Amino acid sequence: MTTPPDRSLIGDVYLNAEAIAARVAELGTEIETDYRDGDLLLVSVLKGAVFFMADLARAIDLPLEMDFMAISSYQQDREDQDRRAIRFMKDLEQPLQGRDVLVVEDIVDTGLTLHYILRSLGLREPRSLEVCTLLDRPYRRITDVHVRYSGFTIPDDFFVGYGFDYRQLYRNLPYLAFLKI
Amino acid sequence: MSEETPTFSYYRGTTPPKFVTPTERQAAEILDYYRVPWEYEPRTFVLEQEANGNIVEAFTPDFYLPDLDLYIEVTQMKQALVTAKNRKVRRLRELHPEIRIKLLYKRDFIQLAKKYDLSLPS
Repeated sequence: MTTPPDRSLIGDVYLNAEAIAARVAELGTEIETDYRDGDLLLVSVLKGAVFFMADLARAIDLPLEMDFMAISSYQQDREDQDRRAIRFMKDLEQPLQGRDVLVVEDIVDTGLTLHYILRSLGLREPRSLEVCTLLDRPYRRITDVHVRYSGFTIPDDFFVGYGFDYRQLYRNLPYLAFLKI
Repeated sequence: MSEETPTFSYYRGTTPPKFVTPTERQAAEILDYYRVPWEYEPRTFVLEQEANGNIVEAFTPDFYLPDLDLYIEVTQMKQALVTAKNRKVRRLRELHPEIRIKLLYKRDFIQLAKKYDLSLPS
């Protein structure tokens, strides 16, 4: 029998479902305008960005394709001496050459992961390569990455819900709440 | 430092890095994991010099990231005690406006530590 999740870790709501939906709709309209003549491929990073990706894609009234990738994490790899570098755990299924690729991220923080993703995807010669993130902490950036579309600039806190997890839990909350750790 | 220095794949210096603090080593490990080439203390900037050439004050940032043309200084000092380091960074920017440098404070590293599940030096 598994222990039920500790909901006491969920703090106050930072962004409710309505606020998220409204901003996602705005981003969708903006992207729709910018890519009207494009060949849009939305690329999302598992698992955190899945909810944002699904809502954003439905807010863009254009023919588009979607693909997903998974990236290793420092947190999981740090104890393994043979896994000391970031890598694709699941690669994209679509070729990128000549496509207008929009990387859909849940959060851009230090920019280290995104820097690796953009460098890797850039080698596949897309026609354009841009980034859309739900949450942004520009003041924590270490690497320079250009974020074309940003949903919300957030404070220096940890969050759960709307794709964000704490030990793989709480991603399915429809809102974004502070994590009390 | 007593802990053994791990093998780095993206270190671009010529001699093995000798980190002064655990925080520096952890920062190096994170950069290396993310395949960001880095150098450790590759350059010392003279901040103040006497007329006879004696160096009064100098500053050696901890890291240089050649691909990003960016220097990084990490500090694990308490926020209230970083005034001197802030001043050095400010002076460096005055003397070398072309130099890009980022100062990572203790609070930044605490957040990084939470994000990457690092053990923080006390």
